[in-house]
Amino acid sequence: MDDARIKEKLLKCFSAVFPELNPAGIESANIENTSGWDSLAHVTLLTLVSEEFGMEVDFEKFESAISFSGFLTLIRETAPHEYS
Amino acid sequence: MQIRDLLQFQDMRLGEALKIAGQIGGVRKRDLHLLCGFTPLHLQTYVIAYLRLRFPEDTIQVHPGLYGDLEGNLERALDQSAEGAIAVIEWADLDQRLGFRGNGGWRTQTIDDIVAQAKEKCARLEKKLEALAQKIPLTLISPTLPLPPLTQNSPVQSSKFELRLNALLEEFLLKLSESKGIRPMSVSNLAVESPHHTRHDVKMDLATGFPYSLPHADALARLGVRCLFPGEPKKGLITDLDQTLWKGILGDLGVNGVSWSIEDKSQIHALYQQLLDSLAESGVLVAITSKNDSSLVNEALQRTDLLIHPETIYPVEAGWGPKSESVSRILKAWNMGADSVVLIDDSQMELSEVSERFPQIECLLFPSSDPAGVLALLKHLREIFGRAEIREEDRLRVASLRAANAMHSGVSETRSDEFIARLQAKLTFEDGEAASGRTFELVNKTNQFNLNGLRFTEAEWHARFGHPGSFLTTVSYEDRFGQLGRIAVLGGYCKGGRCVVDIFVLSCRAFSRLIEFQMLRQLFKKSGSESVVFMFKPTERNGPMQAYLGQFSSLENAAAEGIEVSSEAFVKACPTLHHEVSEKWTMQESKRSC
Repeated sequence: MDDARIKEKLLKCFSAVFPELNPAGIESANIENTSGWDSLAHVTLLTLVSEEFGMEVDFEKFESAISFSGFLTLIRETAPHEYS
Repeated sequence: MQIRDLLQFQDMRLGEALKIAGQIGGVRKRDLHLLCGFTPLHLQTYVIAYLRLRFPEDTIQVHPGLYGDLEGNLERALDQSAEGAIAVIEWADLDQRLGFRGNGGWRTQTIDDIVAQAKEKCARLEKKLEALAQKIPLTLISPTLPLPPLTQNSPVQSSKFELRLNALLEEFLLKLSESKGIRPMSVSNLAVESPHHTRHDVKMDLATGFPYSLPHADALARLGVRCLFPGEPKKGLITDLDQTLWKGILGDLGVNGVSWSIEDKSQIHALYQQLLDSLAESGVLVAITSKNDSSLVNEALQRTDLLIHPETIYPVEAGWGPKSESVSRILKAWNMGADSVVLIDDSQMELSEVSERFPQIECLLFPSSDPAGVLALLKHLREIFGRAEIREEDRLRVASLRAANAMHSGVSETRSDEFIARLQAKLTFEDGEAASGRTFELVNKTNQFNLNGLRFTEAEWHARFGHPGSFLTTVSYEDRFGQLGRIAVLGGYCKGGRCVVDIFVLSCRAFSRLIEFQMLRQLFKKSGSESVVFMFKPTERNGPMQAYLGQFSSLENAAAEGIEVSSEAFVKACPTLHHEVSEKWTMQESKRSC
């Protein structure tokens, strides 16, 4: 249940930062197959995730998050209790 | 409406901003420069979002510059077309050592050098900002972030260094504020919407180079867009008297019993009167609607200690009928639409009664027992009546309205040519560029006598002056009842050997004086043309223009190529004109041959 909520929120974040992404393809999105995923978009995504999940984003830790699934894993580890 | 409801600042979340910014706009494109020394990142997102909210029909393009090169960004913006610019200067733009990402050292000698460098930088930025503002309107945001702790003082004490930097900045901003086109964002207002301690996101700054917290980026974008593209200001204010303009009930306390002073614990009404007087001075029309005995009201308005000049109040509607009736008469006397007007009253019931009949009027409650609420109301009035510039025409407005009504009261229902002949009317035709601000305002505000309802941005307007073959003239009017100032604009260009008019507006204050006929007569004379093509387009409100053109030509076939009026048709329909005409309008030789 909570995991579904995390995914739903993360899908919205990706959709806001990469509006061209096909909704069906968001879960398989990564830095290689997503046009516009540059350093600025990465910071925007990090900030949005931080805002949406109410958590402090560790830039260094999230530097390695270069895919939807990577983000999902890190959020599961980092997000406040209500999401875990 | 409670004024405090209007002043609640709704922070926009980044997710919402991204969503709004990502919406598809219409055909019309609006370009804006966002000039700063850092990568604008979320600030850019917020700016696009607020521009989209301001112009929902348009496609918004915001052009940021290069990282760390504010001066270069200003230079490059000069060569690219846009409708405006928001320039953000942070301390690091004056000297990198003033930022949090610099490593230049904080020793005393270094600090002295920083001031000298910042001074030079200010001088260079000043020139570049002025040059850009000549071309497009520019909102200037001065340093909003704290300085690093680089002096020896304890942070509780102001250092000489900080004071010197602030003095330098004040001088720089003061000078720029005098330049036409530059709109410095209010530092004190920003502090209300974005408190100092919430502005800097150190983590983000060090990690990415973007220094602002999201709420601060949001506030800067919101205020920056509002400063650059302010809404159309309201034009008229109708006020109640008892418990609003003054404390007390006139009918109960008598003329000397009502008050507005510290001594009588009614100072809040004195502040309100001073604000109304100041608004009236800037050209806002102020009228009174009061359920009172009219002779008593007139007597009270003679009190010499009133802080609003009674002659600036017009008209005064005092009586016992419904307020919506008196508001209706005021709108008629002003010849103004309800959507340009604000009504202020201490009675919610009266406001509701008026609002039911005139839903477009902004009805605001005067909270007489809540000083903080009144102060919030005064600030809101400044906001909705705020104008970047006050012109002579604004100061003349009340006098000319009184004169117009006096004039019309002497004319029978149909136009009296004899009466018009006795007006001793004088018309002055001048080049439009000489009065660019007023001309721009007239064209963008006039609805009734307007050829086609065309509206221009400031950038489009300035570009128009450089267009080869174009002409633009403004017309000023005065008669024995007084001056009306600049009240009409006529503009166009030469095309295929014919004179084409695409701008033709006349203020409704100047109707019934045959000015529109004199303008066309002068155009025929000046251009030497046998016919004039009007790029006419019917709008919901330009009925007077339709009636005017209909005298010369059928409007039924008003196609894209316009309506052609021949000199012969004009002469046939033109009544006898009695204006004394003064021509200060130059039409170049090349244009004259059209």
